[in-house]
Amino acid sequence: MARMKFLCDADRCIECQACVTACKNEHEVPWGINRRRVVTLNDGLPGERSVSMACMHCDDAPCAAVCPVDCFYTTADAVVLHNKDTCIGCGYCSYACPFGAPQYPRAANFGTRGKMDKCTYCSGGPEDDMSQAEYVKYGSNRLAEGKLPLCAEMCSTKALLAGDGDIIADIYRERVVTRGYGSGAWGWRTAYGETVSV
Amino acid sequence: MLVKRRTREAAASGRLSQFAAGVAAKPLDRRSFLRASGLTVGGLAALGTLGAGMTRRVEAAGFTDQSQPIEVKTNMCTHCSVGCTVKAEVQNGVWVGQEPAWHSPINRGTHCAKGASVRELVHGDRRIKYPMKKVGGEWQRISWDQAYDEIAEKMGEIRQNSGADSVYLLGSAKFSNEGAYLFRKFAAFWGTNNVDHQARICHSTTVAGVANTWGYGAQTNSYNDIRNAKTVIFMGSNAAEAHPVSMQHILEGKETQNANVIVLDPRFTRTAAHATEFVRFRPGTDIAVIHGMLYHIFENGWEDSDYIAQRVWGMDQVREVVKDYTPDVVEDITGVDGETLKRVAEQFAKERPSTFIWCMGGTQHTVGTANVRAYNILLLATGNVGHEGTGANIFRGHCNVQGATDFGLDVGNLPCYYGLGEGAWRHWSRVWDVPYDYFVDRFDAVPAKGGRDARTPQQNMEVPGITSTRWFDAVTIDAEEIDQQDNIKAMIVFGHGGNTVPRMQDAQRGMDALDLLVVADPHPTTFAALHSRTDNTYLLPICTQFECSGSRTASNRSIQWGEKVVDPIFESDNDYAVIHALSERLGFADEMFKNYEMVEGKFGMEPTPESILREINRGAWSVGYTGQSPERLKAHMAHQEHFDLVTLRAKPDAPAEVQGDYYGLPWPCWGTAELRHPGTHILYNTNLHPMEGGGAFRPRFGLERDGETLLAEGSWPVGSEIEDGYPQFTYGVLRQLGWDEDLTPQELAVIRQVAGGDEEAMDGVSWSLDLSGGIQRVALEHGCVPYGNGKARAVAWNLPDPIPLHREPIYTARPDLVAQYPTNEDRRQQRMPNIGAVVQQDVVERGVASEFPIILTSGRLVEYEGGGEETRSNPWLAELKQDMFVEINPADAQARGIVDGGWVWVTGAEGGSRARVKALVTERVNPGLAFMPFHFAGWFQGEDQRGNYPEGTDPIVLGESVNVITTYGYDPVTGMHEGKVTLCQIAAA
Amino acid sequence: MTRTIFTRIAAALAMVALVATVAPVAQAQVNPTQSAVNEDALFQALGTGGSVSGRVTIPDQASGNLIVPDNKGWAVLQGQTLHTLSIVAVVGMIALLAVFYMLRGKIRIDGGPSGRKILRFNAVERFAHWTLASTFIILALTGLNLIIGKSVILPIVGESAFGTLSAWGKIAHNYLAWPFMAALVLIFLLWVIHNVPSKLDWQWIKMGGGILKKGVHPPARKFNAGQKLIFWAVIVGGAALSWTGIMLLFPAEAGTAADWQFYQTIHALVAAGLSALVIAHIYIGSVGMEGAFDAMGSGEVDENWAKEHHSLWVDEVKSTQARNTAQVQTPAE
Repeated sequence: MARMKFLCDADRCIECQACVTACKNEHEVPWGINRRRVVTLNDGLPGERSVSMACMHCDDAPCAAVCPVDCFYTTADAVVLHNKDTCIGCGYCSYACPFGAPQYPRAANFGTRGKMDKCTYCSGGPEDDMSQAEYVKYGSNRLAEGKLPLCAEMCSTKALLAGDGDIIADIYRERVVTRGYGSGAWGWRTAYGETVSV
Repeated sequence: MLVKRRTREAAASGRLSQFAAGVAAKPLDRRSFLRASGLTVGGLAALGTLGAGMTRRVEAAGFTDQSQPIEVKTNMCTHCSVGCTVKAEVQNGVWVGQEPAWHSPINRGTHCAKGASVRELVHGDRRIKYPMKKVGGEWQRISWDQAYDEIAEKMGEIRQNSGADSVYLLGSAKFSNEGAYLFRKFAAFWGTNNVDHQARICHSTTVAGVANTWGYGAQTNSYNDIRNAKTVIFMGSNAAEAHPVSMQHILEGKETQNANVIVLDPRFTRTAAHATEFVRFRPGTDIAVIHGMLYHIFENGWEDSDYIAQRVWGMDQVREVVKDYTPDVVEDITGVDGETLKRVAEQFAKERPSTFIWCMGGTQHTVGTANVRAYNILLLATGNVGHEGTGANIFRGHCNVQGATDFGLDVGNLPCYYGLGEGAWRHWSRVWDVPYDYFVDRFDAVPAKGGRDARTPQQNMEVPGITSTRWFDAVTIDAEEIDQQDNIKAMIVFGHGGNTVPRMQDAQRGMDALDLLVVADPHPTTFAALHSRTDNTYLLPICTQFECSGSRTASNRSIQWGEKVVDPIFESDNDYAVIHALSERLGFADEMFKNYEMVEGKFGMEPTPESILREINRGAWSVGYTGQSPERLKAHMAHQEHFDLVTLRAKPDAPAEVQGDYYGLPWPCWGTAELRHPGTHILYNTNLHPMEGGGAFRPRFGLERDGETLLAEGSWPVGSEIEDGYPQFTYGVLRQLGWDEDLTPQELAVIRQVAGGDEEAMDGVSWSLDLSGGIQRVALEHGCVPYGNGKARAVAWNLPDPIPLHREPIYTARPDLVAQYPTNEDRRQQRMPNIGAVVQQDVVERGVASEFPIILTSGRLVEYEGGGEETRSNPWLAELKQDMFVEINPADAQARGIVDGGWVWVTGAEGGSRARVKALVTERVNPGLAFMPFHFAGWFQGEDQRGNYPEGTDPIVLGESVNVITTYGYDPVTGMHEGKVTLCQIAAA
Repeated sequence: MTRTIFTRIAAALAMVALVATVAPVAQAQVNPTQSAVNEDALFQALGTGGSVSGRVTIPDQASGNLIVPDNKGWAVLQGQTLHTLSIVAVVGMIALLAVFYMLRGKIRIDGGPSGRKILRFNAVERFAHWTLASTFIILALTGLNLIIGKSVILPIVGESAFGTLSAWGKIAHNYLAWPFMAALVLIFLLWVIHNVPSKLDWQWIKMGGGILKKGVHPPARKFNAGQKLIFWAVIVGGAALSWTGIMLLFPAEAGTAADWQFYQTIHALVAAGLSALVIAHIYIGSVGMEGAFDAMGSGEVDENWAKEHHSLWVDEVKSTQARNTAQVQTPAE
């Protein structure tokens, strides 16, 4: 069984935000919910690199560890999903997540955040695959259709890779060997406790 | 396989759990409540405050029901010129999903932020829903018929009182090729050359500079071909934001070729972040930078002498001029030291193939054409034009700016660069099957005024019109000063923003003074909101290119056929139908549309784009738009997977209908479709047979100059039976060579017809006028390029600066350099005066540079495009850039008490202009430089103009326009505005 | 958690240093590709705190934190340590009391009920107490549910029911916090005067409060040392819970995410301790001691009970009563 991961090759990422709008488009994500975002480090300096970030679908996901209602679950593809019907919008996962993935429909005061929303790795939620109910709550289920997350599929420079962790690590490794530089598999050590060494 | 959830509900059968679930499930599910109450679709305010427990989606709009059939439509992104294929999934007439177009050799499934969100365009919450007009200052809904009738009547009145030239037809780079061509034809039938589009403000200087150097005004190679380059220079191009998908090819090329990627820019851009060398220079000093590089190249003998000897004319004169640009001089002008330029020059000259990429950072200057010429000379000196991995890779702006330019949405051309001469008019009269005199009758006679001679209609139709950069001056200027019958009285604006040209205070005055303003666009542009007009202002809802079919030409000259995805939404209609309906009311539809297949459209008859393209194929010989039949273009779209990523050529195993073709039949695609010319991936490439896409520089400036030949010497395309340079092919040339025998009787008959039956005139019928394509076919059969085999010109003697010279910007931060490097002399051009020199002198004398110490430059953001109305109305994009801003260096910010994210006033050097924007404090800009993006509008000098838009059509994000601050300055050749260098002051607000 | 703040500052300084090393030097060749930041270096610079942060264009500036490795630390603290601690505190206390009950049994009134009642808490006091008590119990249960419910209740009731219960629980927790805080203030004002520590308390403690052995009854005023301990624990712990709870309710006021995590940790720790203490309090006020419940039930306690546990208070009450009676019997002339 594949272990799905994301890898953003920052030496390719140009902060074009295609991943962000592809996500919005595919799942009709409302204004204010940013399942994916691009962060630019060292902005304006030689050394600047941009990294596209969303839920990394961690091993031993910290969000799941702190969730009071245990609404998270991990699929056989190692995708970390959650059940919005169970979610109470407490916000704990957003404090546990090292990547800022959990999003809420509303301002957070008085615990009125609403149900948490986050990247589903384009694989929906607990409802029946590709059902309208699933779409309304979680967005579309590309994995069930045999496709990968649209953010990575549409990445303008093929910086954002999605797929089996071993395969994308190999692709990245090959790139680093070819070009002789690589700024690293951002987030991997935090999410998976390992990095892609060349 | 997907694990849906753990089976934890087994324990939930207990009574307690059932009770608990029953009690609480409903109140928590506020989503269904909100949906039932119709609150799921809301404006920005609703999105912010009315959130339900669940994040909500617009149902049905995006849900794909996998159990129902899905139609997949293929079209192209309507934003930039890269030409990314868009795969649209349609269900029950609703565009429900966008899938990666893996097979496109151009984008290979990918998009940028804009391309990945184009589906929203046909949600179109904020589009114009129906025709509207302003009555007493209020927007009112009207019918299409009423709109057409009233507009046509007013146009007729203006024609009666002020002449046809008083109606300005501003077209669009968002037209399909067929729409652009139809609009140009419409202008011809109306009787004016006042027809223009966005190319004026993005690459008009490129077209002028490049065409004057080697023949055609287009990107010589392609995005894909940059994969072959060993050295890539970006100058005034921020491809990472403006053409993101092109970076896929460039970054992969950089990695696999270990290529040098050199970014020369005043600003550390997102592109610069991926460079191997970043060189910062003072805005507006490109020529000095290039000459500084050439200095080292000639000094060290790094030039390609053989190439120059065979294919370039006048390089020795350049060599003399460049001697003045010593490292010290160049460093003083540009701020770049000699060693850096030497290193860059050496890489570019020696680590070949090298390519040079430029965009509006190079073109939008008072020296725009000269900048382009300087880039070309660098390419020619190093032998970097005409083969793989080299070339002038000009990244054009809008999705079809290349096509719209090709089809003559230009004040100085009929379609396909035929110019405005009698020969051109007669050629198109033949193609359109309308007598030449018909058009003469449509044009104004111009009376003598301002010391200028009167013009007959026939003379007037050969005089270039007013450029789009000056339209508002042409409204308000003294009638004596304008070189046509009367001022501009009406603006008919199809798909063009009103905030993309400098001096918006003057644009506002111009809008207020018009007798008639018609905006035909999916969105109300700045043209609909900037002014205080109360009447005679119309909005026509035009659909996007996703709601009609047609072809569009990407920057690399590849032509792609876009399929209609869904029917026009709301009451919008397509360009073809609207142009037809207007022509009908104006009384020339029968003549204009007689060659087309007419079908029943949404509100009336409309021509099919296929039949328009067939007419184009019959007339567009000069640039080789003749082989691209609708059938061939559609076959290319259907078989994208068979084209090679790097060469763009269909592989041997491709279906017969595309085999051997270059993707999108990049022009020139010579001869008729039956000839099966494959198109031309790389222009001027002598390494290929002309029938395989080979070519040579085009000799279009005579055969010799100063006693030296302008034809190539010792260089010819592979397979040429003439092993030397040669002029363009005419029937006469064929006869001299004895190749006229190869013409078929039918072709001969057509040539005779073109010559008007005059046997002697037949010799003069050239490859570009021969409607049979016979001359082209025969030339190609003998391995020859129809247009000839000439030399590129290092010296373009017909331009103001035959060899580019550094000239200070009008609003210069270095007034001390003006005496030595003044701007061009004042002149009259395109019917208007250009008083740049007077303004510059005034700027120096008034000491403007000390009052406004910060250089202001402008540019693009990845999320938005052009004037930005369309993209700022798209919530998926608008969310990502919610405020207009100015980039300012931390040192400048600190000195002014400005904090990152705080409000500031940017004040401009003309007319007390000012703009209230947010500060983005960043090292991207140096101290003394500020940058503002140009996509914003809707605020004007601190005033929020949201209320000026018809209700529900105001873009989500509004902001100040940079062009409120930008100032006077026009290129002497094309009238391009100065959009990249002016002066400003910034203060905390 | 203050450690986090310091390490964050250190990390920020390290970032500045890192940035400084890659900043352009005038006239030197600028090779952005070679100078690119990399994750390894940034992580080394981070040390054990802070985040890898940059610029974002969306308004949510917190989203500029690309990676905050420390959040995992809080996740472990919250998901494991506090989870275990809470269980230990609650279950441990219950077990302790069970053992005590088995050894000592219910503490009876030595002299048996006298049948004479004496008013110990008036209506206002009882109202304040029960408001505090009831809200505390619900807050404790709903709060505890967030920590340990998933391992205790979820397996019994199933996921959706548990989600529903927890959602209601969260609402109850967020809104009942306010009456709890009001009652806390009231209790403080009513009883603080009786809870000032005195020498007697020391004696009381030395005698083990008299609950360990039958027939031992250290003297006490209205509140003995044990009750004072409860009082101050409730006041201090309640204040801590209130303050941190408000911070949790208004995250924007709390400051950074790390600050919020700090408040959450304190909240959970105090809640666990106080819950344990209150369990003991409930024990002694109900099954643990005969006659104790009446104090907060009817407000009137049996005189014998009062004499045994609050002898000095009984004396005070008696003398006050006597004075009052005398006054009533000799009306003003």
